[in-house]
Amino acid sequence: MNRSQARSLGWAAVLAICLAAVVVLSFKVHAVRSEVLLAERQLIALQRETLLLETEFQTRASQRQLAEWNAVEFGYQAPRAGQFLDGERQLASLGERRGPDAPAPIRLARADAAETAAGAPAAGAPMRSPVSGAAVTLASAAAEKDAGAVFTQAFGDFLIEASPIRPARAEPPRVGKAAATAAGQGSGE
Amino acid sequence: MNTLAARAAPLSPASHTAMPVIPAGRLPGMGLRAQMLWAARFRVLWLLGGFVGIALIALLRIASLGFAGQAPERTSLAEAMVPPRGEITDRNGAPLARAFPAYALWFDPKAMGDTGSPLVRSPQDVARALKAIFPDIDEGRMVRRLASGKSGYLRRRLLPEEANRVFALGEIALEIPRETDRYYPQGTLAAHVLGYVVEEKGGQIGMEQVLEDRLAHRDTRTQPVALSVDVRVQGALEDELRKGMLATNAIGAAGIVLDVDTGEVMALASLPEFDPNTAGAAGAVNVFNRATNGVYELGSTFKPLSIAAAIDAGVVRDLGKAWDATPVSVGRRTIKDLKPKGASLNVPQALVYSSNTVTARVADALGAERLRRTMIDLGMDRRPFIELPARGKPLWPQGEWSRVTNMTVSYGHGLAVTPLHLASAYAAMVNGGIWRPATLMKLAPADVPRGRRVFKESTSSRMRQMLRMISLYGTGKQADAAGYRVGGKTGSAEKAGVGGYNKTALVSSFAAAFPLDAPRFVVVIVLDEPKGTVASSFQRTAGYTAAPVVGKLVPRIGPMLGVQPDDARDVDISDLRYLVDRH
Repeated sequence: MNRSQARSLGWAAVLAICLAAVVVLSFKVHAVRSEVLLAERQLIALQRETLLLETEFQTRASQRQLAEWNAVEFGYQAPRAGQFLDGERQLASLGERRGPDAPAPIRLARADAAETAAGAPAAGAPMRSPVSGAAVTLASAAAEKDAGAVFTQAFGDFLIEASPIRPARAEPPRVGKAAATAAGQGSGE
Repeated sequence: MNTLAARAAPLSPASHTAMPVIPAGRLPGMGLRAQMLWAARFRVLWLLGGFVGIALIALLRIASLGFAGQAPERTSLAEAMVPPRGEITDRNGAPLARAFPAYALWFDPKAMGDTGSPLVRSPQDVARALKAIFPDIDEGRMVRRLASGKSGYLRRRLLPEEANRVFALGEIALEIPRETDRYYPQGTLAAHVLGYVVEEKGGQIGMEQVLEDRLAHRDTRTQPVALSVDVRVQGALEDELRKGMLATNAIGAAGIVLDVDTGEVMALASLPEFDPNTAGAAGAVNVFNRATNGVYELGSTFKPLSIAAAIDAGVVRDLGKAWDATPVSVGRRTIKDLKPKGASLNVPQALVYSSNTVTARVADALGAERLRRTMIDLGMDRRPFIELPARGKPLWPQGEWSRVTNMTVSYGHGLAVTPLHLASAYAAMVNGGIWRPATLMKLAPADVPRGRRVFKESTSSRMRQMLRMISLYGTGKQADAAGYRVGGKTGSAEKAGVGGYNKTALVSSFAAAFPLDAPRFVVVIVLDEPKGTVASSFQRTAGYTAAPVVGKLVPRIGPMLGVQPDDARDVDISDLRYLVDRH
């Protein structure tokens, strides 16, 4: 085999590889194209379904239907003048500090507070089944001795980590209900 | 070649010398062999040609299948999303009419492709199965349809789950073609505004007809068309109007809510209505649009317009001036007040107590030509300005107006117009005096027409005061919705029939504007032939029939239209108040 033969053989090999590559590429292109087509068809089907559902919703919630429901079930009335606020100032005035000689705001009694006063343990009372009256033990409470404390601990840790603004003010978690509410308020600031 | 050479050899004398080169004795045998060889070769060639031909045909067939055969239909995403007919929405984009993909149930007896029975099971079984899916069909009729072997629709509209259940029956002859349907999600709401669509005929009445080209054209149907109507306001208007109509046993009703500054119609209703979803080629009942096509003598609602014309012309300068309120004799007729309130009344009192006599005298002082001019400026002499094809032609007194005509028109008789005419005129009266054509298309702020000035700004301001006084002290008390500063005028006119007025049939109307300290909307309510019922305190007049509709409607639509109720604000009527309210 001389040089020119080897060269032509080489060229032929290159040509064959190129042809093969072209064939593979065109297969790939067609595959992708058909995938695109499939996706498009799916889009069309979904769009049509959205249209269908949207229209169904609008039909079921048509103005006349809403008016009928209101007449039968809800009885909502048009708002009166007193139910509107004039602007931000009027809204802000609702949250104003109580004046020095203003009457004390009316406080509403709480049922569990009354129970505590009567001597019944509010938090410690076991949950009872409304049907049989037997005490119910929740699965989670049975597994963990003090589920509330564990949750509070975890929630407090999470808040300390998650609060980027004032991490120093986030109080270390304490056991009990008070700690949970304090932590909740801290995050709300 | 050899044969040619052999044939050529005897002809040429020179070839004799060449003979020994090729032995002569072998020539015939060689020709035979070559011939057989050639024949064999030709046969192979023919065979090859046949194979190639068959291969070519096969290839062509494959190619033709590939190009034109059962290839899946390729539609681009954008193309597939173009609805066959454009969508109509309200001003906030809530769809009012859209192309809705639906299924139909079509019976095709030839679907099996043979001469046998078109159905796998008996028609009775299939009809029973269909009855289980569609409980409302007539089973006996369905059996006859299936047995007849005639193709046709068994049912026009199927829900997708129903289509699935029909498909599950496995009957090839029951086809479920997908069809796009014109669908109105709000049902009968705004039916007269929208109209309906008949297949192959296009839109009928309403905006479907007006916008036919735009909705059907390939390039424009992708964009939804926004109407000026607000679907919530329309719903409230129709609800209150229907209640008012049923409470008073009226035969019909019309209502309009109009933006005074742009002329956009926020809601337009005519009762009784029709359902555009079921209206088809056979037409629909109740297509008559009372709001834009019905012409009525609207009675006393015209009085503020006449008074405004008189104030504008300088005929009424002193509102405290006492006008003679005794019956007017003109020609053979005598104009009287329904409920006389004394021998003399000033102009605000005349409006508050709805005095025909004072209004007629003011119009007399104004003169027929000037009142006629104002009415023409308000567009009362021609069909109303709106896109809808159903526009009623007013009954306009032709030629020069006589003194009687002038006086009767001043209190709304002898001139019959549509409720929309009245709404546009009231809008001009309260918005500072500019009349604008009404439109059902949503307008961009730049597209609002300039309009034409009919009244002076000062006249408009006076009229706002007096309209408010009517609802505070006069016949429109029931329309005074708390906090909305509503003002308007009642109108109760006997219907004109053959040979004079029909004493038993009344048209009660109320034309109002709110909030009158800065008018935004005009509301016109017209009840056709209300009866005295318990709900209306056995009264047929507008103060007890049409005015309460406005009083209930305005608090419902006010907040939606951006009008807040406010008990602390009102029109300043301090300079006129003492003229009416003498306490």
